[in-house]
Formats: sequence, C-alpha cells, structure tokens
Amino acid sequence: MIYIEKSGWQGFRLPDYRVALDAGGHPNDHVFITHAHADHVPRDRKLTVHCSAATAALMRVRGFTGEARVHDFLQPVDLPGCRVTLYPAGHILGSAMVFVETDQGSLLYTGDFRTPPSPTTEGFEEPAGADYLITEATFSLPVYRWKPQEELFQMIREFATDALADGDTPVFLCYNLGKAQEVMHALAPAVDRIQIHGAGYGLCQVYTEFGYDLGNYETYNRDTLEGSALITPGSTLDSAMLGSIRRKRVAYCSGWASNDARRVQLNADAMIPLSDHADFFELIDFCKRMQPRHVYITHTPNPDVVSHYLSKEGISSSGMITEGKADE
Amino acid sequence: MSDEKRGPRNDPENNRSQGLNRDSFLQFCETMEDVSRTRSMNGKIARFAAYLGGLPGTGDVDLACRFAGEGAFPSVSGRRASVGHRTIGICAAEFCGIDYDLVFKPCRTATGSSSETIQRLMENLDEVRAKQRSSLPGLRQIESEFERLGQARSRDNKQALLHEIWTRLSPVEVKYFIRIMGQGSLRTGFEARSITPAIAAAFGADAEQVRYVHMITGSLGRTAALAREGRLHEAGFGLFHPLAFMLASPIESRSIGDLAGYVAEEKFDGMRCQVHTDGGEVRLYSRDLNDISGSFPEVTAVFAGKQLPPTVLDGELCVFRDNTIRPFQHLQKRMGLKKPSNKILESHPVIFIAYDVMFTGGRPVFDLPLGERRELLEDLSAEYHINLTRQYTIADEADVERLFNEALARGNEGLMLKRRGSTYEYGQRKKSWLKVKKPGGSIDTVIMYATAGSGRRGGTYSDFTLGVSVKDDDRYEEEFIPIGKAYGGYSNEELKKLNEAIKPLIADRFGPTLSLLPGIVVEVEFDTIQLNRRTKAGYTLRLPRFRAIRWDLTPADADTLRDVEKLYDELVNAERASQAGEMSFYRGGSRV
Ligand SMILES: [Zn+2]
Ligand SMILES: [Zn+2]
Repeated sequence: MIYIEKSGWQGFRLPDYRVALDAGGHPNDHVFITHAHADHVPRDRKLTVHCSAATAALMRVRGFTGEARVHDFLQPVDLPGCRVTLYPAGHILGSAMVFVETDQGSLLYTGDFRTPPSPTTEGFEEPAGADYLITEATFSLPVYRWKPQEELFQMIREFATDALADGDTPVFLCYNLGKAQEVMHALAPAVDRIQIHGAGYGLCQVYTEFGYDLGNYETYNRDTLEGSALITPGSTLDSAMLGSIRRKRVAYCSGWASNDARRVQLNADAMIPLSDHADFFELIDFCKRMQPRHVYITHTPNPDVVSHYLSKEGISSSGMITEGKADE
Repeated sequence: MSDEKRGPRNDPENNRSQGLNRDSFLQFCETMEDVSRTRSMNGKIARFAAYLGGLPGTGDVDLACRFAGEGAFPSVSGRRASVGHRTIGICAAEFCGIDYDLVFKPCRTATGSSSETIQRLMENLDEVRAKQRSSLPGLRQIESEFERLGQARSRDNKQALLHEIWTRLSPVEVKYFIRIMGQGSLRTGFEARSITPAIAAAFGADAEQVRYVHMITGSLGRTAALAREGRLHEAGFGLFHPLAFMLASPIESRSIGDLAGYVAEEKFDGMRCQVHTDGGEVRLYSRDLNDISGSFPEVTAVFAGKQLPPTVLDGELCVFRDNTIRPFQHLQKRMGLKKPSNKILESHPVIFIAYDVMFTGGRPVFDLPLGERRELLEDLSAEYHINLTRQYTIADEADVERLFNEALARGNEGLMLKRRGSTYEYGQRKKSWLKVKKPGGSIDTVIMYATAGSGRRGGTYSDFTLGVSVKDDDRYEEEFIPIGKAYGGYSNEELKKLNEAIKPLIADRFGPTLSLLPGIVVEVEFDTIQLNRRTKAGYTLRLPRFRAIRWDLTPADADTLRDVEKLYDELVNAERASQAGEMSFYRGGSRV
C-alpha cells in the first residue's frame, strides 16, 4: 500500500517517499512536474523541481526561476526508498507520466496524457503495468470518442486553405501551450505564413528549439496579417483585436468542440474537436493495460462513470477530487 | 469495449450520402446538419432552399418544412407524439446498454441535449452500431412512424416502438427523429421565421406573400406545398386555424413621447386565448396555437350558446369569482387539466374577456386600424353579451400612473398601451402594444451555476441559476436549492465583474455550465412566483432578472425557501378590489 495525499491545487504527495507530484510547498520533497500547464505547476516559481528538458524550458518562458533537475524519459532516477522514471505522456511537449517504484509496489501518475500522442510531443510510452494508477479523466464520458488525428489535421488544413483562397483570414482559437503548436504543425505543410497572438510566440520558440516544425511563424502583426493563418487563445474571441479583423473565419479547436452547445455558444465557423487528452475509450483501455490494483480518478466531475466501467473490467477505483478546474 | 486499436472509423453515413435518395430522411438530416454548421442566416436559407427545390414531390416539401419548423405533426393540429424526455432517455440507455442514472444522465448534462447524447452514444459504442442498420426511410415513412407513436397509448408501447424504429435508423437520423418528435426547435439556429424566406427562394415566390400565407394558415408545410404549386393566392384566413398572436413589448421608459397616441387597457393576470366561433362550433386556442377548448368547457359552452356568426376574437382567460379576477396561480390549477372535474369548475370558474377581433362580418379585419376594430368589437360585445375589456383614453403620464395603480388595486398586472391606428400585427412583437408592469417582488439569492450564453454573449457566463437557502430547513439536506434562472438585468460592466468574481468559486464544470461555491449574492426581481412541483424547491420565479449584485452581502444573508413560500402566499391572497362596479371590463358587454 502506498499512501497518497492530495496537495495544493491539483497535485498529490507520497509522504513516505517525500515525492510530490505537480505540487510544491513541503520542504525536502522531491517535486516532480508532469508538464508546463498552469494547473500542474506549483505557484512557487523558485522551487527546485524534477521534470523533462522541454518542460523546464517551457516553464522558464512562463516565468519559472527556480532550479530544474532535468531527466531523460525512460531513465530511472534513484531516490531514497524509491526509483522514479518519466514516461512521455503525449499531451504537450515535455509532458511526462511519473512512474514510482517502491517496495510497497509501483505507482503511475499520468498528469495529463493523450494516446495516440500528439506529433508535437515526445510520443507516448507506458510502463508494463502499475499497481496503483492516478489518472486524469478529463473526457470521462462515452460521448467522447475522438476522430483519427489525420482526419482532424485535414479539417484544419482545409479550413485554412479555403479561407485564404477566399481572401479571409483563418483564425484558430486554441489554448496557447500545446494545442496552438499542434495546430501550427498541422498547418505547416499547407500555409505559407502563420501569425500567433500574445504569449504563445515564446512557447513556440521552445518547440522549434526542440526540433518540431511549426511552419513559418511570426508574432501577430495587424499590418502584415493578410495571407497568414492566425493562432489565438479562445479568450480573445470577443476582443477588439479579433473585432478589427474584418474578413475572417473562426475555428475553435478543443475536445469540448465536440459538444454542439459549444458551437452555439461561440458562434464559430468551424468546430474542430482536437483534444490533447485521451478520449473515454482510450482512457478505459489504458487503465486495463496497466492492470492496477486500484485506480484513482482525477480531473473530472464524473469519476463515478469511469469507476462504473472499470468495475465491469474487474478493476477497483475511486474518485479523487482535487481543487480547481479542468484545463484545456 | 474492444481491445483492438482503432483505425479510422468508417462512416457509413458519408458513404451512403453519395447515392442518397433525395426524399430520404437521411438527406433531410444531413441538410439540417449542414444548416446548423452554416453561420450566416442567408447561407442557412440558401442551403435549405436548395434542398427543398430538389425534392421530388409536393408531399415531400410539405413534410420537410413541417419537420424543420413545426414537428412531427402540423402545429395547427395540436397533436403531439407525447413521449416524455424521461421515457426517451430511459429507452436510449436501454438501447445502448448503459445505466440510465449512472451514465446517461451525466452524458446528457455534459452535452446539454438528450438527442445529441443519444446520437453520440450510438456512434461511439460498437455494440450499438452493430444492431443499427438504416433502412433509408423516406420522409413519408417517418411521418407514419410518428403516426404510430402518436397512437400508442402506454409508455411501454411507446418504448417498444422507439426501440424498434431506432434499429432501422442511423445515429444522426435518431437525433433528428427525437428533436422533431419533441415538436420544438431542431436547434439548428433556423426557425420558422427563416423557413418562409427559404420556401420563397426555393419556388420563386414572393417572400412577403409566403410569410402572410404562413401566418394565416399556421402551417409551414401547407405554405410550402402551395408555394411549390404556385397556389399561394388560394390560401385565405379561415376559421378554426389559429392565427399567430400579436405580442406586446415591455415599455422601456415611462416617458413615451406621444402618450396621446395610445389608448390604455388593464393587463389581466391570465392566459392569452383566441376564440374561433361559428354558430354552435367553438374552438379556443392558446398562445402557442394549441387547441385548449377541452380544458375550458364553461367558456366553450358560453360561446356555443351565443350562436355567433363566424368570428375570431383575441382576449384573456381569467379565473373570476366573487366579483374579482383571481390571481394567475388559480388559473394555473386549470391549465394542465384536459378534462376538469365539476368540483374544480365550481371552485375555479374561468371567463373570457375580449380585447380584439380579427374576423367578423365574413372577412378578416386584422388590417383595419385599432379604432375600427374596437368599434366592431363593441358592436359584437353589445349584441352577443361578450365580456369586453375597458379602454381608456390617456393624455399624460399622470393618467397612466393613476390607471396603473387602479389596475394593480384590482389585482391586475398593470396596463397595456395600444397605439391608435395600428393594425393587428399577428406574430410580431413590435412597439404598437406596450406593457406596463410592476415587478412582483424581489429576493436575495445566491448564484449556484453559471452557464455561458450564446450569440453575442458567447464565451461569457451570462445565465445564472439562483438559489435560496435551505440550510435550516429540515426538508432538505443541501445548503441552497435553485429557485430560478436569470439571463439579464445586469449591465455589461457588471457582467464582466461577475465573470471575474466567479473564477475562484468554480467547483465543477459540466460542459458549458460551471457549478459554483456559494459566494455571490444577487437581488433578483421577478414577475411572480409559481408553484412548480417538478423542481426541488416546489416553486419557481417567473421572469427573474438582476436588480442588483449585492457585493455587500454574503450567502448567509440570502433569503430562504420559507421566505419564498411566504411571498407566494402574500401574492396569492392579496386583497383585490371588486369588479362589482365593472371596473376592468364590461361584463357581458353591458356598458356602465
Ligand atoms: Zn495539461
Ligand atoms: Zn491538467
């Protein structure tokens, strides 16, 4: 039995091993950060943390100034009483699942994950199994099943080239870390120029440094926008910036775009259900492959639904409610 | 759930659509999907028009327009398939082999729609796909399925029928089948108002004429059929086909420029009703154009006894007893009853008070100015002893103020101001009729849920579910329970501030809806309080809107359910001035 406690905004601690997962605050803890999304990074920006190289670089762009102990994926790190290995999680660049092996059994904490992985990540790999699994379940209902990635990428490219051919600016509303870069990667072979609005540009540079092709991109400039695709966060939908672009077509890219209600809400021209999380069916399959003794379900208002399906597979599980909201 | 890794899902709908029959239901569904995805209204109209133009027969055009804008049955028929939401949900859960409470309900909460949930579960679950095979039914076959459902009596029969029909449909067909069956909106952002220009475009007819024919026939299907055959001119306004009601706008400020251009009538706290009568034949229609004759047999009988020539009247149904107009809540007790008992007929007697006439003397008169219609109505009222609302001339605001207070004293809602010279603008809500109302009251509530609004407010949380406290109420286990949903009354500034303030209170997220920890207190104003047994509280506020966000208050200051119950009692039992002096209306048409 490995004792797990909730810690901080969305994180957990294994107090017996002084290992913290996406949570800071306890001195002498080994703090592992799965990825650079704000809801997984502790508020204290001066902490000493363990993470992947890309996560460290992305966190620095977002203002992290502490010490980052960088680990390669699949390279075990020995700590007192346990051995910790990072597995690529397929969610965003640098995202890792944290695998902790102890004499009490092994534990896998997924952070956020996507399988099949985004092509703008280090891929997705999983351990052969885990005794305990703490998994996110953002899309925890059987109404969520994603279309194949190639089909979604094709939608993205066609949306952009159709708009450009008609003299409209294709605008992609997407979260500025992860989704933005995946959409740019999809667009790269199809459009000549991409502009990115706001804080996303610095994050893109990290992707470029790590060798991912995001196309020919530059930071948003109203004067030279014509002929470019524009990448901007959803929060700018009603902004003066978007309002000033007279000829445009707006696509919303998110797993939530699969819900019709979102379309009505956003009044976008296209809804592209590209998610950076696993869908419900992949989630259940993944849990089955891990053959865990127990699954802890987080990141969802509906842990009971996941539990219900896992119990049909003979897997015991329970919801673990964390504070805070589901991210993108 | 299968273990094998999924490849690209083969989508039979797309494959099939290449060689679709133009009159197939699937083609209709795919057109509606296309219309839904199209953002501009002109684009939606053009797509639907192209579809209508390509249909092979007049009967198909009739059905396509009915399904798109009215439902399974023509709205003038007043018929419904009468399959409840719960029945559909339970049937779908069973069809999909999932647990209704544990799985179906959270899915529905997340998508915000039963029909969409069912469609997606059917698409996603392999074992369900395996048992469904679309037989590509035509529009006419779907019509006969609705007919079978309409005739099925028991819930079990209906469920068995649904189950059987669904095995012969694809998921997208099931979604539209359910939406059409609900006799409501297909949620494609394309309503009756936009279907008429599409009919005009499809068949090269005059848009204004199509709109007119729709208004007088009350049927999109029939209108489209006439348009296709170039026979729109044949449509005439007829008795026993309800006409869309003329609607009033709320008055924006008490100071209207030309008050003298209006006349005033008291606004009754009742139910809008259209009476069609010809000799002993009488039909009553509600605001949504349903036939409600059976629910108000005493009114029907009174008119039948009068033996009027063909006449259509607009007016109000009210419970009238002991010389007073009883509050709306009393009428509510009658509204759901298809066959009221003698007991309730005696305890809650209903009368009709006329205030307009649309057909008399063998012709429609809705194009005549108000004054002329009023003269015709007064003549009818005098000859046939019909209750007639009193009309007052007004000169200035002092008149309005005085009449308004008198109306309230008699238990009425306020005043209607009607522009002299205006025609009966059926189906429209313009400024020719203005309503002056007093809020029913206000209470302090806590915001429990926030939902992102649509359209112009997209992306902003603009709909708020408000709760009252039941903390010390041993009937409940929770702290707060919902009492109503408010969509407006706040300024843009306040809405922005509110959207900031809810962020730290987010407890959960269900699709577009946030569940919030109690923290923000809102003073809401409402028209009245109604009994509503289907809600947890047992009461709902009618038309709640923000009066003020009480940043100065905490959830502990919120009003309680007991407070609401007390207010309800006060509203229902308030003293009402008697109508003995024929104050609000002329009884039996006799003038004072
Ligand atoms: Zn994330
Ligand atoms: Zn996350």
